[in-house]
Amino acid sequence: MCMKRMKLLLTGLLGASAFFTACTKDPLNHLSTEETRIYVTSYDSSAVFSSYKTYSIADSVTVIDNSMAKKDLSDADAAYIAAVDRNMQQRGYVKVERNQNPDIAINVSRIYNTSTGLIDYTDYWDYYGGYWDPGYWGYPGYSYYVPYVYGVYQVTEGLMSIDMFDLKNAATHGNKLDLLWNGLVRGEGIFSANVADTAVQTLFNQSSYLKANE
Amino acid sequence: MKKLISAIFSVIILSAFAFHANAQKGEWKLSLNYNYSMPLGSFKSDIIDKSSPLGFSGSFMYGLSDKFSLGIYGGYQDYYQKFPRAVYQTDNHEVTSAVLSNSVQTMPILLKAGFSPLAATHAPVQPYVALGAGVSIIDFTQYLGEFGGTNSSAGFTAQGSAGIKIPFGKFSKSGVNIGADYNYISYSKFGYNNLNNVSLHAGVYLPLR
Repeated sequence: MCMKRMKLLLTGLLGASAFFTACTKDPLNHLSTEETRIYVTSYDSSAVFSSYKTYSIADSVTVIDNSMAKKDLSDADAAYIAAVDRNMQQRGYVKVERNQNPDIAINVSRIYNTSTGLIDYTDYWDYYGGYWDPGYWGYPGYSYYVPYVYGVYQVTEGLMSIDMFDLKNAATHGNKLDLLWNGLVRGEGIFSANVADTAVQTLFNQSSYLKANE
Repeated sequence: MKKLISAIFSVIILSAFAFHANAQKGEWKLSLNYNYSMPLGSFKSDIIDKSSPLGFSGSFMYGLSDKFSLGIYGGYQDYYQKFPRAVYQTDNHEVTSAVLSNSVQTMPILLKAGFSPLAATHAPVQPYVALGAGVSIIDFTQYLGEFGGTNSSAGFTAQGSAGIKIPFGKFSKSGVNIGADYNYISYSKFGYNNLNNVSLHAGVYLPLR
């Protein structure tokens, strides 16, 4: 008899648990499109950003999609590039052509989900031939390099990535173009010209050290 | 016909709830409650400060004597809070601007002992206290924006309860149960210490034959 009661209780509790578990609030169902987005910045803490005065930005983005890489310039891409341009100048950096020895090279990339599964984001440019080659910046034979440790991102959806490389000290850093700063935009609806300005502005807002003047 | 249905319905209800009064010794009692829980301490300050209106609990107690009972207790509580966009340090050289969502579900399973000094009387209000100990299954979900995941674990749990039982009638062994629980739930993950909370509960109790 006691066993029967125990079974009855356990059945009841399990049933009730299943019911309430089904009622559990899923955080993802309570996010607006804007709230799904995150803006991530990382930087080389040994870099003195005020020692850099000029920059150049690639005129189109690298699109990495299903393990293929190519160059493209959609309205959204152009908006992201323009927003980076604007924020850099607001921080006191002077834009020059890439053949005018800029101190900083800026690459913008659009990365999609891949059919091959997860991508280890760290050093992702090493994996895709379509990424801007250091030769584009006048440093053939050099390689890109991350001089600091930052989070490893496994890309399961799209993201926009903005990379700033150190051209000024390339020759003295073992033929490497050190990554100075990286900004990531992830979440829903990020490949839109309407989002670009706010996204890039947010990245710069949380990078107060990024300025040409002390 | 309506009167007949009403009469049958009344008999069923009465047979379910209206038992003749006698001592609780040797009897099993089932209690089902709605729970409203309020996080405390570091649970409140570091994870979720909003109270949870989504919870329930149930116990199955055996009368060891007219005043003491022993049994098992199970429950479920769902906590959730979304924090406005802010900048978080996510690594040594990295910060992230995001809307943070925390979601915690606790499912305690406890061995529980109860003391009800007036259980053998016909008092219209019967106070009780209880102590319980066991484990809680804990699901902790955290999202930055839409990125994150769930971690499941188990933590030691201790519970102290106090409240009153109000029988449906002078000779009824069923009634309404109202009280409060203090729950200590150990949780040593991600730099957190516990998920302590106070919950208010209200529900019904009834004997099982």
